[in-house]
Amino acid sequence: MSTYIELLISGLVLGSIYALMSVGLTLIYGITKVLNYAQGSLFTLTAYLAFVFFSNFVSMNYFVVFFITLALMAVIGFVFEKIFIRPVRRLPGWDFTVIIVTLGTALLIDNLFLVIFGPLQKTLPRAFEGSLVLGAFRITKHNLFIIVAALLTIVILDRFLSKTRVGMSMRAVAQSSEGARIVGLDVDKVFGYSFATAGVLAGIAGILLTPRTLIYPLVGWPVFQKGLVVMVFGGLGSIKGTLYAAFILGMVEIIISYVFGARWALPVFIIILIVVLVFRPKGLAGRWQ
Amino acid sequence: MAVNCNSTKKSIDNKNIFLWVALIALLVVAPFFFRDSRRVMHILTMCLIWGMVAESWNLILGYASVFSFGQLGFVAIGAYTSAMLSVHLGISPWIGLIAAGVAAGIVGALIGLPCLKLHGIYVGIVTFGISLVMPTLIVWGGQPGYKNLTGGTFGLAGLKAYQLFGFNLGSVKIRWYYTGLVLLAIVLYAIYKIIHSYVGLAFVSLRDSQTFAKSLGVNDYKYKIIVFSISACIAGIAGAFYAHYSRIIDPSILELDIFLLILVMVVLGGLGKFGGGVIGAFIITYINEILRPTGQYRYVILGALVIIVLTYVPSGIRGAIDKLAVKIKAGRT
Repeated sequence: MSTYIELLISGLVLGSIYALMSVGLTLIYGITKVLNYAQGSLFTLTAYLAFVFFSNFVSMNYFVVFFITLALMAVIGFVFEKIFIRPVRRLPGWDFTVIIVTLGTALLIDNLFLVIFGPLQKTLPRAFEGSLVLGAFRITKHNLFIIVAALLTIVILDRFLSKTRVGMSMRAVAQSSEGARIVGLDVDKVFGYSFATAGVLAGIAGILLTPRTLIYPLVGWPVFQKGLVVMVFGGLGSIKGTLYAAFILGMVEIIISYVFGARWALPVFIIILIVVLVFRPKGLAGRWQ
Repeated sequence: MAVNCNSTKKSIDNKNIFLWVALIALLVVAPFFFRDSRRVMHILTMCLIWGMVAESWNLILGYASVFSFGQLGFVAIGAYTSAMLSVHLGISPWIGLIAAGVAAGIVGALIGLPCLKLHGIYVGIVTFGISLVMPTLIVWGGQPGYKNLTGGTFGLAGLKAYQLFGFNLGSVKIRWYYTGLVLLAIVLYAIYKIIHSYVGLAFVSLRDSQTFAKSLGVNDYKYKIIVFSISACIAGIAGAFYAHYSRIIDPSILELDIFLLILVMVVLGGLGKFGGGVIGAFIITYINEILRPTGQYRYVILGALVIIVLTYVPSGIRGAIDKLAVKIKAGRT
């Protein structure tokens, strides 16, 4: 019995990480129509940033570093859009070119880490050490923190998108960037904000997950791959569908890993994805246009 | 873009024919200058192989406008088909080459059946996912219980060379080069024929005005599957040639940097422009080779280069050549 509960918790933890990753991806796609292949590199970037902070300012509080890193990620996301995406968007046929530009950026960033930090793995501290014992089963405090933090982030994101001015302008651009431009919104800035938001989301996922996996230059890549599948499974541009998909596939991955071994998770993902897309070509909750 | 239009086809072809003859002559003569350098001959042969892969990708990506990101998967299928036939059954690599094309083509059609019903980026992510899954399958097929079918992570080594008119291609680079050149020429001719056939016309009409073409009864699903399968078949043939040329095939063929390099070849050469993939292959393979001494910095530089080039030469080298040709012509009259 306790094994199943522990599996359930692991599934929730994994689902939370996938949710953060793929909501970032789907947000960018929904608003800017860019498939961001560098999202995994932003994940890795956060992990290394946090590593640098933690190893240089040992006495600093965990949460101070946490929020400083996230603030930096917002700036980096904004600048990323300005440097790499905006010039390409002016060109004809940019929707394809931009994918390869983000892919090139991913190659650049990942190998930069290899040059700077070397291939050796680095460790990141956990938010809380130790574990809680509840009756028959136990849960590490960090895992609990991952789930709570991810859910809290999603709730805040939802409030941000529906209540704030910036959030509403992002949704307006998602519906029609032409229309948003006509009513006087600065679409370029909104694109920048959405990359900043996605940078923060990738950042939260990075800081939360890397204490468990260790940091190496390609750490974001497997998470990104699964994030892509989750995004398509849930339906491009739909945050609600992506959340469902993240937790479903998180559970599936844990069960598959438990029964067959971790390397079968991605093949099973792809099979599920193809089957779902045959019946629902736009994913679980994709918009039908 | 006018290259594909039937009405202007002839004049454009005539204008470019000198360019093509010059290029082919250059490729035929090139080995006489470099025949003593095995390294240069190796690079040139790799250019030809990547050229085939890039051009097959260009066919599906540029002409059929299908976001297919799984082309390396078909390269791997072709390579492994030929390699397994050669290692386990001792079948001649020439038959392996054909089998590789057939196998990749069939798998392509099977994958295309569900995938090509989807739209835009969905196709891209599913095909990308399929090529990501392949290393797992290859490693699994290499377990001892399955008679070490695929050689697992270490790959299949010691593949036999092709026999041609009693010559063994062996380790003589120049023979490989010319065999590769003939293969590339056949592939390019086939692609040219497809583009200028009924199928190619269907795609031009679908690209220029999808709604109108569909209302006239052009079945895009059917044509997409045909071209997807042909493109996979060509990639499979290139993969088989690659496997026997390098004498070893392992799952590293599916790695991300190769994926990016070939994708960049297609885009740099000119997406949807005939011969663009080959031009891109020569440029990128060469750049990749001169960057080799920079060691760790190679991919950093390459990544930066990709971003800069795509931002400032958006229509690719072939597009730039076309523009230049138009300018020269305008200057003359």
